[in-house]
Amino acid sequence: MKKIKIDHKACTGCKQCEIICSLAHTGAVNPWRSRIRVFVGEEFCLPVIAGPYTEASCNSKGTLMVEGVEVDQCVVCRASCPVKSVYKEPDTDIPLKCDFCGDPPNPQCVQWCAPNALTLVEDA
Amino acid sequence: MFGWNGKILRIDLTRGTSGVEDMPTYLMQEYVGGRGMCTRILFDEIDPRIDALSPENKLIFATGPLTGSGAPAASRFIASAKSPLSNCVSSPCCGGYFGANLKYSGYDLVIIEGRSPEPVYISIHNDRVEINPAGHLWGKVSSETEKMIRAEMKARYDLDDWALNTMGIANIGPAGENLVRFACIMSDGGRAAGRSGLGAVMGSKNLKAVTALGTGQVNIADVEGFRKAVMDFYKEGRDNGELYKRRRYGTWGLPGRANASKTQAAFNFKEGYFEAFVKYEDPEVIRDLIRVRDEACFSCPFGCSKRSRIKNDPEYPLTAKGPEHETMALVGSNCGLGDMLDICRANYLCNELGMDTITTGAMISCAMELFEEGHLPEKDIGYPLGFGNTNMFTLLKQIAHRQGIGDLMAQGGVIFGAKYGHPELFMGIKGMGIPAWHPQALDALGLQYATCNTGGAHTKSTMPFYEGRKDPAHFVEFTKKDQDYLATADSGVLCWIIYHGPLWGEKLSEWLTYVTGTAYTEEGLHRLGERIWNLERLFNMRAGITGKDDTLPPRILKEPRVKNRVVCLDKLLPEYYQMRGWDQDGVPTREKLQELELEKEGAGVI
Repeated sequence: MKKIKIDHKACTGCKQCEIICSLAHTGAVNPWRSRIRVFVGEEFCLPVIAGPYTEASCNSKGTLMVEGVEVDQCVVCRASCPVKSVYKEPDTDIPLKCDFCGDPPNPQCVQWCAPNALTLVEDA
Repeated sequence: MFGWNGKILRIDLTRGTSGVEDMPTYLMQEYVGGRGMCTRILFDEIDPRIDALSPENKLIFATGPLTGSGAPAASRFIASAKSPLSNCVSSPCCGGYFGANLKYSGYDLVIIEGRSPEPVYISIHNDRVEINPAGHLWGKVSSETEKMIRAEMKARYDLDDWALNTMGIANIGPAGENLVRFACIMSDGGRAAGRSGLGAVMGSKNLKAVTALGTGQVNIADVEGFRKAVMDFYKEGRDNGELYKRRRYGTWGLPGRANASKTQAAFNFKEGYFEAFVKYEDPEVIRDLIRVRDEACFSCPFGCSKRSRIKNDPEYPLTAKGPEHETMALVGSNCGLGDMLDICRANYLCNELGMDTITTGAMISCAMELFEEGHLPEKDIGYPLGFGNTNMFTLLKQIAHRQGIGDLMAQGGVIFGAKYGHPELFMGIKGMGIPAWHPQALDALGLQYATCNTGGAHTKSTMPFYEGRKDPAHFVEFTKKDQDYLATADSGVLCWIIYHGPLWGEKLSEWLTYVTGTAYTEEGLHRLGERIWNLERLFNMRAGITGKDDTLPPRILKEPRVKNRVVCLDKLLPEYYQMRGWDQDGVPTREKLQELELEKEGAGVI
């Protein structure tokens, strides 16, 4: 089993992952249709990969400390849910989920991540 | 359509209206995008003789066919208008997220006309184009403006954090509002379309900001070919030592390099060496001192910009971008300011106030020399202002707010220098300050600066320090070639830092072909570039610029300050004109214009 490891400290916010994800899955470039999203902050950037859809929004919202900065848990949550607009097709609201593209798995976001914020590792 | 959207958004601020037009096919075919299209539109639509700060001037924000496509380091945008500083046509280039968002909104370019009766800002969100009141933003510094606009956009469009931080904002600080002639357009937390005073053009239109957030797409003609080419490019990039330095240090490696070779502008170009920079010859020192994180423009895998912070200084709480080499040189060594943190402070102030660090640095170093030589009395300034004096921070604010002597300085170096009897002490070309590398380092550099269509700009030609560019026999040839080439690169819009010169010049035709589906060739692009360059020249001639303006300050031409030599412009310039197909006065010949299919445009000036 392989998984994508995220090193947010290496992320520069270039959004090439969003670009290739949309290009590979939809045939055109549009970050709004990407299954990975980079949240750009002043101190750091945070790539988050879309997980499964949940029918209900959660009621355990809180904050998380990242690099000494308070981050809304909604931002780091991978789920596509009724209250968030990310990880949804903008026109149809159909939920988006990372499909670990390629056979054998070769996620394109990892390939296009030049600063190595995303790497493919063996799940121990 | 592939690459382009084929749409122009036109906004009339006087009437408060906006409309969408189809892009004429010839603009895409013959002018590619960005700078090329802007030059053509300005040439056709405005009288070059107008006052750049009048409502008749038009401000264009333009993307290129590559913007937002994912082509590496090619998602920049161009701001363009007649420059109030040099009176030339100008098209500074800027990174960040604004360009891609404009493209995803469905437009290739936005033309802004007229003058709003009240301060406003424009928000573009796909087909929702709104002109909003900006009275409450007027007077605010750049970062505060962005913050307040983001909050308003969040509420209006119900945006989540991702979308909110993806939005692009181009804005001006107090300097632009107060029509400082070297005010710049700031974007996305510290980037700038900097050089030619377009911030003042925005200010003259009562336009505080333009925001863009697009949810559309860019279509690519040959998706498979494009993806493979990008992957090959990544591989090439990994092995490139020059690029590694850009990635790790941005331009922080350059002051040391320039200093070691005695070509770093210092003390108003009196010297080419600055003792205080010796400690920064290892750029790792700067990185350790101020870096917060590496930051990339949209769609750039290299991320050369560095977000930095002055630690433990509550007066400067936010992070800033840079300072880049040009800033370190012009407000640093050229003003005798040797401490990196002081340079950061000056950079921070310039960004917040919205002023071009290069021309601002040239203005202040001019004032410092006038002061030290006794031409500028202390009572006129209010405080001593020798080289290295941190009173310059006060002066920066005074220029932006046009207080005291700042009011005079805001009008540019030519007027300021003349007032105190020494216009020659302003180190500028066509009114625009000379960039960081001392022109006496290499004659080719002097030639590039002198002949540049927008004034003393550092991004309109290639730095001639690379192998194959240093041979004097080829100075003229390469200057012409690079100027033409950069004109198309700015139309793409490619990043100058990554692609300049011998790195990977040939990539432009490759990207354009994959993305647009039109077969572009190197030779074809060089011809398009030459047309753009000549059209800019014709615009400038109509604006009253002549071959006499293709010159350098007397200090560069007469006083051997660096490497014990002067720039032999009198020898190079005739050669350059000849190679361009221009006569000895720098006027394009009829034959040349016929060859470039620009006879009609040349009527009346040649």
